[in-house]
Amino acid sequence: MLNILVIGAGTMGRMHAGSFAKMKCVSLVGIVDTDLNKAAKLADQLDTKAFRTYEEAVQQSLVIDAVSICVPTPVHKEFLLKAADDKKHIICEKPLARTLTDAKEMIMYCSERDVKLFVGHVVRFSPEYIKAKLAVEKGVVGKPAVVRTSRGGKFPVASNDWYTAYDSSGGLVLDLLIHDFDFLRWCFGEVERVYAKSSRGRVYERLEYALVTLRYKSGVIAHVEGSWAHQKFTTKFEIAGTEGIIDYDSSKVVSVLTGQNQSNSGGGAAVPESPLEESSYYRELEHFVHCIKTNDDPVISAADAYKAMEISMAVLESIETGKAVTLNNNVKELI
Amino acid sequence: MRVGIISFAHGHAYSYTNTLAELEGVKIAGIADENENRGIKAAKQFNTKHYLKYEDLLNEPIDAVIITSENSNHYKHVKAAAKKGIHILCEKPLAHNLKDAQAIIEVCNEHQVILQMAFPVRFNTPVMKGKEIIDSGQLGRLIAIKATNRGTNPAGWFADRSKSGGGAVIDHTVHVVDIMRWYMGAEVKEVYAEVGNLISELNIDDSGMLTMEFDNNVFATLDCSWSRNKGYPTWGDVTLEIIGTNGTLTIDAFGQKNNVYNNEKVYWDFWGDNMNKKLIIDFISTVREGKRPSITGEDGLKALGVAIAAYESSEKNEPIKLK
Repeated sequence: MLNILVIGAGTMGRMHAGSFAKMKCVSLVGIVDTDLNKAAKLADQLDTKAFRTYEEAVQQSLVIDAVSICVPTPVHKEFLLKAADDKKHIICEKPLARTLTDAKEMIMYCSERDVKLFVGHVVRFSPEYIKAKLAVEKGVVGKPAVVRTSRGGKFPVASNDWYTAYDSSGGLVLDLLIHDFDFLRWCFGEVERVYAKSSRGRVYERLEYALVTLRYKSGVIAHVEGSWAHQKFTTKFEIAGTEGIIDYDSSKVVSVLTGQNQSNSGGGAAVPESPLEESSYYRELEHFVHCIKTNDDPVISAADAYKAMEISMAVLESIETGKAVTLNNNVKELI
Repeated sequence: MRVGIISFAHGHAYSYTNTLAELEGVKIAGIADENENRGIKAAKQFNTKHYLKYEDLLNEPIDAVIITSENSNHYKHVKAAAKKGIHILCEKPLAHNLKDAQAIIEVCNEHQVILQMAFPVRFNTPVMKGKEIIDSGQLGRLIAIKATNRGTNPAGWFADRSKSGGGAVIDHTVHVVDIMRWYMGAEVKEVYAEVGNLISELNIDDSGMLTMEFDNNVFATLDCSWSRNKGYPTWGDVTLEIIGTNGTLTIDAFGQKNNVYNNEKVYWDFWGDNMNKKLIIDFISTVREGKRPSITGEDGLKALGVAIAAYESSEKNEPIKLK
């Protein structure tokens, strides 16, 4: 049995705690949130304990093998250092940190203390993305050439509205597009340079929109759209190569559509779904639990998470400067 | 009205001539094509006369001419027509380089003939609806546009830089830049592009991703790649995603189609309006009424300027300011 403490009872904390509660080989020992009511509500649902602080949880819980850090990005480091000091293995939501310096320090801190660090790049566990990667590896599209991805929906609502604070969240590019940067690097290798534009500084409404071009060392050209300016969360990708094309659009995958009439004459709303027995989050967390138990290498290493951040930072720099940014690709010491 | 066609080098000639044949009060005066086989065949198809030399066609009493020759021949053909006082519909891009494009505009001004650009996408019904929605102001202030205009490598002279001026980037950028300029009444200030020859064996750019900064504080990207493969159910696309402070607008210019699953192939059977036809009707009425063309030579030059700057950007890996 692996004893896991979830830190943070927000959207991601709920996702993690709910997944762990379902796993037979995991004991969810508690949920930490400075808002104790929030933690208690979730703990009640999942039949576990609620704590206001990490320290209280450590004092009261008998055994904690690992922690899952699901707090806003700028606070990741604080909890990671504490948990690593206590020799707990760490699962941390993406992005690992707000700055590369912090990320590097966090990775080193864990490795020096022999603590495993897993970063939640959940797209690597999403079946549509995995299928596409496997097809590309099999040569279905020939040599990949032009790739497009899209991700986004409404502006996120979270505690203290922390997403609106760019200095805290890194905005759309660091928080959301990092998924696509990681997936694309997983499929097409290292990035040579990036060029990007975003709505930041152009509009003051509660929205963000960014368009990014990435050139890979392999020659592949990728275009990444990120949006907190749309109405409904959607992900899309298209991989075009010399021999074929793979495309996916989440808005067109509707395997269950429930329509509810408002009156006898019809009308009303329809809710689309694409249900799977296990969510991508469940698969991801189950994989991390497996790696803790077996010592296997994870599908996404801490160094991969760092690399994805490095790409995000280059994109932010390009948006800031209006220039193309070439990546230096010199983080070998981390691997 | 008597209308001639110079060259069937560009495939759009067939669609344009088809429309001419349908229009009342329009007579196809003849087809000039230095490719004798192609010219004779086309003349037969449209029940008109073939001229091996374009000069001979222009010596006939004609009112207007459609120029659908290779990009590098546009200037030669425009100049000859303009000198005869014949009005012109010129296929896009206006020319294979900026020097020729400038000269085309000048010679048409000098001889006071109508020069209209063949940017048929402006007449695509969903694209026109998009213009209406933008003009209504319901999207609020515009922030960004994400566009695609993909296709397939047409090969032949399109893949010969000396005749075309370039591949996918020059071929497809002009359409969408024209739509963006028209939608917003704004000009491109700066362009960045990643360009590659990643798909076809032919030595010509077939992959292109442009990022543009407009002078109204809107940014835009365009995927102009010839990236549709043989098995893809259609030739390509024109799509626009427009982001405003109050909402978003998605345009799929060729999304009106049936999906067909034949034992040999799967394809999309388009049933939307024929934009080429609407373009020709517009041009004919412009000539008939002596109006200012809906799409001018300057529009053609502006769009071409962006494509040329995109090539420069891709060589230098830096954004290029437009003059």
